[in-house]
Amino acid sequence: MIDFELSPEQKQFQALARDFVRDHVIPVAAQHDRDETYPEEVVAKAHEVGLLNVGIPQEVGGLGLGMLDEVVIGEELGYGCMGIYTILMASELGITPVLLAGTPEQQRRFLAPLLEGPRLAAFALSEPNNGSDAAGMTTRAELRGDEVVISGVKTWISNGGIADVIVVFATFDPSLRHKGVVAVVVEKGTPGLSAHKLHGKLGQRASPTYELVFEDVVVPRANVLGEPGDGFRIAMRTLDQTRIPVAAGAVGVARRALDEATAYARQRHAFGRPIADFQAIQFKLADMKIGVETARWQTYYAAWLVDTGRPHGEAAAIAKAYASDMAFHAAQEAINVFGGYGYMNEYPVEKLMRDVKLNQIYEGTNEIQRLVIARSLLR
Amino acid sequence: MKVLTVVRQVPDAEARVRAEGGRVDLSGVTFVMDGMDEYGVEEAIRLREAGHDVEIVAVAVGPEHFAEALRRALALGADRAVHVVTDEQLDPVTLAGVVAQVAREEGADLVLTGGKQADWDSAALGPAVAEHLGWPHSDWTTSLALEGRELRLQHDVDDGVEELTVTLPAVVTTQQGLNEPRYPTLPNIMKAKRKELQVRDLAGLGSPAPRVRVVSQEVQVRPRLNKVVGGDPAEAAREVARLLRDEAKVI
Repeated sequence: MIDFELSPEQKQFQALARDFVRDHVIPVAAQHDRDETYPEEVVAKAHEVGLLNVGIPQEVGGLGLGMLDEVVIGEELGYGCMGIYTILMASELGITPVLLAGTPEQQRRFLAPLLEGPRLAAFALSEPNNGSDAAGMTTRAELRGDEVVISGVKTWISNGGIADVIVVFATFDPSLRHKGVVAVVVEKGTPGLSAHKLHGKLGQRASPTYELVFEDVVVPRANVLGEPGDGFRIAMRTLDQTRIPVAAGAVGVARRALDEATAYARQRHAFGRPIADFQAIQFKLADMKIGVETARWQTYYAAWLVDTGRPHGEAAAIAKAYASDMAFHAAQEAINVFGGYGYMNEYPVEKLMRDVKLNQIYEGTNEIQRLVIARSLLR
Repeated sequence: MKVLTVVRQVPDAEARVRAEGGRVDLSGVTFVMDGMDEYGVEEAIRLREAGHDVEIVAVAVGPEHFAEALRRALALGADRAVHVVTDEQLDPVTLAGVVAQVAREEGADLVLTGGKQADWDSAALGPAVAEHLGWPHSDWTTSLALEGRELRLQHDVDDGVEELTVTLPAVVTTQQGLNEPRYPTLPNIMKAKRKELQVRDLAGLGSPAPRVRVVSQEVQVRPRLNKVVGGDPAEAAREVARLLRDEAKVI
C-alpha cells in the first residue's frame, strides 16, 4: 500500500523548521539579501536547534536523518529564504561525499567536529572554465607518497571560505578524463589555500560564494575518499542525492510565492472588487498550486527512493528540473499578481524570482538534468 | 514531585474555519499545540532546570490527533505522556473530571494547564480541575517559583497583579508572560521517540457523560462598516478618535 503520511517525527521536524523560519529567517532575509551579508546568527541558531548538518550519521554522534526528513525540512527553509537555506544545504552537500565514500575513521575525523558548533562543509567541483563538463577539470592533485598536493582554482563554491571541511575534486591525470579524478578532503587553514568571496550575485545573496585558490596545498593521503580515480563517481553519486533538497527548496519558494500572491490578491482591489475575484488571477494561483503539489510529490518520491536504497538518479533529476522551473515560473507569476509592487524590493516576491533562478543552475544545470533523464530513456 | 501538564491540540491561529450544517468543519485545518498550554510545559521544564526533582507527565484528553501535542511535549522535555483518546466533545467541567481522575491516579503534586483554550475559548478547565480535586488554584499566572512544597505565584487581575502563595498540591493556569517557550530541538524530537506515550480510554476513567450538549455552531461574522474618513489630516484624526470613543467605545 502507498502511504502518503509523514511520520510523527517528520511532522515535528516540519513544525520546528516552520517556527524557526518564522522567528529567525523571515525577519532578517531581506536585509541580508540587500547587504550581501552572511547571516551568522541564523546559522548559529540553526545549529542550536539541530537543523544544521542533519545528515551526519548517528555512529559519529549526529542525527543521521534520511533524505525525506531533509526535504521536509528543506521546503520550510526554502520558504523562508532560499539563500539562507543554501548555506545549510551546501554543508550537507559537502558532507555527502564523506558519507558515501569515507571510511568510518574518515567520517569520525571530518564529520564529528562539525557537530561541535555552527560549522560548515563545502563541495568544490566547478572551475572558472569548467562546469557541466566536470571531467574536464584542470585542478591538479599530485599523489606524492603519503601526501597529495593540490594546485588550481575552484569557483562558485558555496561556504567555500568559511567551511571547516572542503571536499575537493581534482585530477591526477587529465588524459584519463573522469577516471583520473580524486576526491580529497581539505581542512580550513591548510597552507596554500585562499578564498575570495564573490560579489554581485543576482539572488541568494545571503549565501556566501567563493573562489578557492590552491597553491601547492599539501594534505595527507589519508584524506583521499575512496581510491584515486573514484572521484568523479563520488561527485556524481553525491549530486544524484543532493539535487533532491534543491528541488525541496524550490517547492518552498513556490509555496511562498503562492502564499504571498494569494494574500495580496485578496486585499488588492481593482474595478471595485478584490483582484482575487478575477479569473485571470485565480488561474495564476491555481497553476501555482498545481506546480507546488506536483513538484512536492516528485521530490518526496525521489527522497523515498534514496531512503529505501533504490536507484534514484532519474527521479532526482526530474524533481530538480521540474521543481526549479516550476518555482521560477511561480515567482514570476507572483510578481505579475503584485504588478508594479512586485517589481520593488519592498515586497518579498522579486527576491523569490532572483533566488530561485539559481536552483535552475546549481548542482547540475537543468539542461544537465534533462541529459540525465534522456540518457536513462535511451539507454 | 510529579507535575501534570495538560495539553490540547487546536487549529492554527491562521486557520480559516467554516461552519457547515451547524458544526464547525475542521477538515484540512492545521493543528498546533495550544500556545497557552505550551507555557505550562515550558514552566514544568524550568522547574526541573531550577534543580527541583520533577517528573513531568503530559496529559491530553481528545481525539487521535491530540497525540501530536503530546509528542511535542515529549520533545520539549516531558518524561512521559498519557493520552485519553476520545472523539467526544466534552464540556470543560466534564473534561476537568477526567483530568482530575488522571491526576489522582498519577499522584500528581501540580497540574499546569493553559489559562484559556485557543479554540472554544473556555477559561474553565483549570478552575474546574481544582474544584474536582479540592485543591487551591491560581489562574492567569505570570510568575511561579517553588520553595519546598510552597508555590509563590503572581497572577493577573483586572487592575493589576496579585501575589499568592499556595501549598502543593495545586492547579495553576498559565498564560503569556510566564515564560518564553523553547523549540523542541531536532535531537530532542528524535529522543522523544523512545519515551512512553500511554493510550487510555474514557471507559477506564468512569465513562463520564458530557453535561452540555452542543446543539449548533456557527462562525461569527461581523459586517464591515466601510467608513472612510478623509479630508484634512488633523480633522480626520479627530473624527477617527471620536468614532473610536463614541461609536466603537474602544478608547
